[in-house]
Amino acid sequence: MSNVAGKAYGMNVLTPLRWWTALWQKLIFWVVVKTFPYFLKGLLTLSLIHYARWTIINRWSFPRLDKTQPKETLTYSYMLFESNFNGSWDQYIDSFSFAIPGGLDMFWRWNIKYPKSIPLHDFYHYIRFNQIECDHYYNAYPLASANDVKSAKRLTGNLRSFADSLTDNMTDEAFMDAYRQFLADNQHALGSMGDSPLMSTSHQLVQHHKQVNTAHEKQPEEEA
Amino acid sequence: MNRPLDLDDIQGNICKGYGRYGFPKARYFFLQFHTPDQGRRCLHQLIPLITNAEPWAADGDSPLKPDVTTNIAFTYAGLEALGLPQRSLNGFPGEFRMGMKSRADILGDNGPSAPEHWDPVWQGEGIHAWVSINGRDMDAVETRFSVIRGIISDTGGVSIRPGHRGADNTLLPWQDASAVYENGKVTPKEHFGYVDGIGNPYFEGCGNDPSRLPGRGKLNKEGQWQPLATGEFILGHVDEAQEYPLAPEPHLLAHNGTFMVYRKLHENVTTFHHYVDSVAQDFDGSRELLMAKFSGRWPDNGAPLTLAPDDEAKAALDQQLASLTEKADKGDACAAAQLKALKDQWIDFTYADDKHGSRCPIGAHIRRANTRASLETQKGAFNTPSALDDRRRLLRRGLPYGGGQKEASDATEQGIIFMCLGASIERQFEFIQQQWINYSNDFHLGNDKDVLIGSNNGRLTDKHIIQTQPKSGKAPFFCSHLPRMVETRGGDYFFIPSITALNMIAQGIIDPT
Amino acid sequence: MANTFGNSYGLTTLCPIINGRHNNTALDKITRRRIQLLKENSASPFARIPNTYFARLFILNDVFFEQGNDVARDHLKSKYLVFTSNFHGDLDTYLSGMWQHAEAEIRHIWQHAVAFNNVQNEKDFIAYIKKCQLTTSLFFNGSTDDTLQDQLKSLYIKQAFTEFALTHQGKTAAQLRAAFNQFIRQVDIHNPVSPAWSPGQETLSDLNPLQQR
Repeated sequence: MSNVAGKAYGMNVLTPLRWWTALWQKLIFWVVVKTFPYFLKGLLTLSLIHYARWTIINRWSFPRLDKTQPKETLTYSYMLFESNFNGSWDQYIDSFSFAIPGGLDMFWRWNIKYPKSIPLHDFYHYIRFNQIECDHYYNAYPLASANDVKSAKRLTGNLRSFADSLTDNMTDEAFMDAYRQFLADNQHALGSMGDSPLMSTSHQLVQHHKQVNTAHEKQPEEEA
Repeated sequence: MNRPLDLDDIQGNICKGYGRYGFPKARYFFLQFHTPDQGRRCLHQLIPLITNAEPWAADGDSPLKPDVTTNIAFTYAGLEALGLPQRSLNGFPGEFRMGMKSRADILGDNGPSAPEHWDPVWQGEGIHAWVSINGRDMDAVETRFSVIRGIISDTGGVSIRPGHRGADNTLLPWQDASAVYENGKVTPKEHFGYVDGIGNPYFEGCGNDPSRLPGRGKLNKEGQWQPLATGEFILGHVDEAQEYPLAPEPHLLAHNGTFMVYRKLHENVTTFHHYVDSVAQDFDGSRELLMAKFSGRWPDNGAPLTLAPDDEAKAALDQQLASLTEKADKGDACAAAQLKALKDQWIDFTYADDKHGSRCPIGAHIRRANTRASLETQKGAFNTPSALDDRRRLLRRGLPYGGGQKEASDATEQGIIFMCLGASIERQFEFIQQQWINYSNDFHLGNDKDVLIGSNNGRLTDKHIIQTQPKSGKAPFFCSHLPRMVETRGGDYFFIPSITALNMIAQGIIDPT
Repeated sequence: MANTFGNSYGLTTLCPIINGRHNNTALDKITRRRIQLLKENSASPFARIPNTYFARLFILNDVFFEQGNDVARDHLKSKYLVFTSNFHGDLDTYLSGMWQHAEAEIRHIWQHAVAFNNVQNEKDFIAYIKKCQLTTSLFFNGSTDDTLQDQLKSLYIKQAFTEFALTHQGKTAAQLRAAFNQFIRQVDIHNPVSPAWSPGQETLSDLNPLQQR
């Protein structure tokens, strides 16, 4: 079990809402989508999230695939929030909560017992209490943050155009000038790549245990 | 708005950077309590010597400025050794309980900075309390130290932990620190040659002159400076999250106390100067400009690059300063006012007009350690411009140590005793150290690290980008193969109790029931 | 309807697990253990499934009880295997790729899911996952919606070009130009497949061969 894959933290939060307020919440999301990016400007500027989603599960819409599967009889509908962001919840809760308290409150506003994003301790514990840990979490680029992916895209696109714009008959000096200009235009995309900072000493311990398990090839046989 | 602070209940080092008050000399030493009862008795004797945060004045009701100050703080092991109840101990935050050594991989204390290379005093257990003496001169410090040593030997069961590395590989039972002197005069410099210690945060109730607020507080939506909430720096008060910071029980134990990080940071002066010399050969600008592009401030007088971004502008600024100073010295009130307004810009600035970092590089030390609302890259995106900064501010204390040798080198003893204070070591110091000093995602600079105090290892990609003005035709300048310029040589996390709590700990009457 | 954002797709599925036991172990526990033991990063089955940016598997045992005497206490009657993925492209193509590249793991992971015994082939699998799918209310893309290959190529280029720029600062115009032309050829800049980072890659690419040539 780990919510950490390289530079990304995988968060799952499941919270109840009354079934009719779930419909209100859906309407809010609809407005957010229609007016994009108006309500998400803070989140975009914060630039910590690769991908995130909010999914309303109506109390009647838990998948039932077979008659043998008991039918769910729930009082509440539920909201499943899933996020892939850089840094851990403990490290970045203050950044989320301070940058976009209004946005967070809007997205969880109808959830039962949601405490609002400020004061922080209650919000922190609300999310933690309703968080479900990942059993398996996969990240295609453990060495890259969302910022790295986006700046890599810009840099590569620009580098392709730059390479294509060069001609054999330009002078070395003209090349040099163009190269300097290229570096200046892309100076914000040239951060070094590397490992994620350690998200916590607990995670470090888990990584260590996994290494030991692998080294000793003593992963317990599974039961089935 | 928080209520006024009981400055006479708060230890003085929380509200006062003693260096600024004319105390250029300091001695730090660490106590081990062998039995709780003797430890408490010793503490009881020490309390009358402890300096509180009351403003000093020449006359009137306020106390006069003393010749010497004394403050005390405890590690988690120290509070345990003094017999604090388990329930109170349990309330302390995790990182404080673990201590700095256990946090090495969070802090980048690896390679030459790894705990196994720290001074002998930090090896093993037994660091229980930190005691600091700041003095106007060394005699005052020595005198106070003898008094304390007397108390310690009288009570018994308490020892001063030996093993601080001093000059010529000697081991001392204390760590002396001192401002750097030039021609017999105190300077605000550290051993690489930078003016240091500018721009500590301003918080509600700190007792400082309100004229010091601009550039030191937080920025509201209207772009005005306001004091930070007291609870960012002192426990038992409301913080920026509109709540009381996490603190142990009972209230009286934590109220008016705070946490402190103590780090002995060795400066590899040879490595530093060699690196600067070698890079300066290719750099389009003076050696001083290159140094400024590392730190964000000109080394000689601390002027920020936002004010003077190149050699030409710096020369003009110096001329302006000299002429205003000369006129002001002759009694020209108008020039004096202009001079003050100019000097205010050392502190009162943001990076709003320097988004590309062509003046102050985005990865420069001061732009990392105090981001001044620059993380709100889209105006109006956040609740307030400094929303990402207000929970990550540090009250910096401390002084340089060592130096004074004829030939300083990496092998000689010199550096900074770095101390910083705040209500949460994890959220403030550790976050800044890990995310902003040794990593750069929040600055969109990937894994680049701080030039001066980052845990660089001399690899090609251990680098710093000196950004250029877009469309200027000039390329950005890369400082690659950054070596480890500063190494950690020891330190720990401490709790600074209020005077009330000190008395209760000494009496052994802390009761969380 | 917001499962997509440009060309990126947010798939959310809840797959009920059979309430039963095998060799005295509950089927949800067997399933959890299987997904916990999956290899990670480049060895994860998701590294083989084309266009997967991020994916996760976890077991939803029950819904939570928000404390207090003014709230109802809900409980689930089944446990659910939750599978979510963020990927590039359309759902059918993605699920086809999933089946084609990780059929064995899929059969292993979903073995105890309700009605999964009816899944015999790719078409069945696609239909099965769609039955378990929930519509996302808001899908936020704070990154890009390019193909994974494009993302991984770009990351490789970013690593390689940054190192190039550092290595070649201060070279003469002629040296620099020659080196740059060679660099562009070596990184095969228009070729999205190679050289590039590989899915789930945990250490930086070794660029030494590139610098020595």
